[in-house]
Amino acid sequence: MPTDQKTTGSPWRDPTRVSSVRSFLLMSIGALIGLFLAGYSLFTARGASTLSVPAEDVAMVNQQAISRSDYLILLQTLYGVDLSHATREQRQKVLNDMIREELFVQRGKELDLASSDPEVRSALVNAVELEISENAITAQPNEATLRDYYATHQDRYVSEGVMNVRDWVFPAGGPDDIAANREALKSAAMLPETLARLHARESGKTQGDEFYFAAKIHLGDQLFASARDLSDGTVSASIQQSDGVHVLYMLTNKRPVPFDFAKARPQVLNDYRNHAIDQLKAGDESFLRKRAIIHIADDLR
Amino acid sequence: MRFALIFILAVLIGAAVFANAGYVEGKLLRADPDTVPADPALRRFAVSRGQPAFVAHCAGCHGVSGAGDPVQGVPNLTDRDWLYGTGRVADIEQIVEYGIRSRNSRAWSLAIMPAYARPHPNPADQNIRPLSPSEISDLIEFLFRQQGRAADAAAASRGAALYSGDAGCYDCHSLDAKGDSAIGAPSLADAITLYGDGSRDALYQSIAYGRQGVCPAWIKKLGAPDIREIAVYVYSMSHPGEMSNAD
Repeated sequence: MPTDQKTTGSPWRDPTRVSSVRSFLLMSIGALIGLFLAGYSLFTARGASTLSVPAEDVAMVNQQAISRSDYLILLQTLYGVDLSHATREQRQKVLNDMIREELFVQRGKELDLASSDPEVRSALVNAVELEISENAITAQPNEATLRDYYATHQDRYVSEGVMNVRDWVFPAGGPDDIAANREALKSAAMLPETLARLHARESGKTQGDEFYFAAKIHLGDQLFASARDLSDGTVSASIQQSDGVHVLYMLTNKRPVPFDFAKARPQVLNDYRNHAIDQLKAGDESFLRKRAIIHIADDLR
Repeated sequence: MRFALIFILAVLIGAAVFANAGYVEGKLLRADPDTVPADPALRRFAVSRGQPAFVAHCAGCHGVSGAGDPVQGVPNLTDRDWLYGTGRVADIEQIVEYGIRSRNSRAWSLAIMPAYARPHPNPADQNIRPLSPSEISDLIEFLFRQQGRAADAAAASRGAALYSGDAGCYDCHSLDAKGDSAIGAPSLADAITLYGDGSRDALYQSIAYGRQGVCPAWIKKLGAPDIREIAVYVYSMSHPGEMSNAD
């Protein structure tokens, strides 16, 4: 094995020989590269920068970043201009406003306003709830999950029924022969004469095609329940109410129809997300309660 | 020795590439977002990195091509019809960052399309009353007339009165039915439809049962560079000519 003692010239250049100079040199280069990379990462890493303002921010206030994108949005909102068209004064004003806000927020934390100011408390509660909801919305469910949800809650995804019904009122204790005049009541030509003969009138509660919920409001629960079951062109049995005897004539009754998955999908997705949000909120509250040390006064236990 | 030199060279090249990427990324973030498409180097950098990020986070709804899906009410990102804002990179970036009805307090969530066939069309606004089936039909005829399609004239006139009156449609979609991108109200006067195929049935579905699409907020999931790169990539999808001409 050749050694340094036996060489002439520059032994550290010959890779076939052991050279302590070369070893130290390579080790030093390695150490310097390592130190450089560590230093670079430490002082410039996103969210950990202590020496410079990260590229995605416009300022650091006590190591708290002010986002560049928020700055651009505020510039646009306040002055309706983008960065390249904003004047120096506009840029400065927006930046100063944002720094001021950050300073006051930090001061608010120092003063622990959340423990005393009901508005801050309410805003914090609201913000935490929104944060939970936001997480639920970012998680996109797959189609199979949505189809399962749709199948489980299919009764929600139906069209609103539509009915066109006429409501006649006969004098209280009205004529016995309503049933005998059913066909005449259905005839447009004979209707006025028949109503007059039977001393009846139209209640005026309904007007043409109506959604079920509207018909229910207009007719009331009892008459609507009767109307809902009528088929097109049929007349109901007499229904005794305080203002007389009601008879309903159903012109058209389009009952609620289930939406297929494709039609219901946007609503299914919204409902699924709302369900996920509720579950996440409950889960978070449960976790927070478990983690917390809560002592309750004896008289309120 | 030769091996050591090659190794050092490789490390230096790697460090240079890393440093350059960091430099360009910083430049991209510091740039006015709306000027990025005009800068070939920044644009290439952003598009090349934005494309895989888009596929990973946005394509689930918008599709890999960004063409959207009218069945699901997912907008087409390859045309220049923008629901929110005017399609500037900054507008797109804001949507990627904070979303639409994403429950982020900075999201776009000023309005929803009420469900006029429900007892309370918009639970947040008790002044909006339900419509009857015939009123909805009249509105549809009015919209058909606005789009230059064959419509029942009498019904369209009744619909016009409803549109600019009792139904309150004008409040979001504007009096000329051309929409308002400041609140995400689509134009109802053109042939582009967000939901469905623009048929009477599809319009009935929207008016009767409402719409309120959601785009998640990515601010807490993605870094600022990813968001900017996705925004530039999305912009490039609707401006293919402009992007290639600038090279």
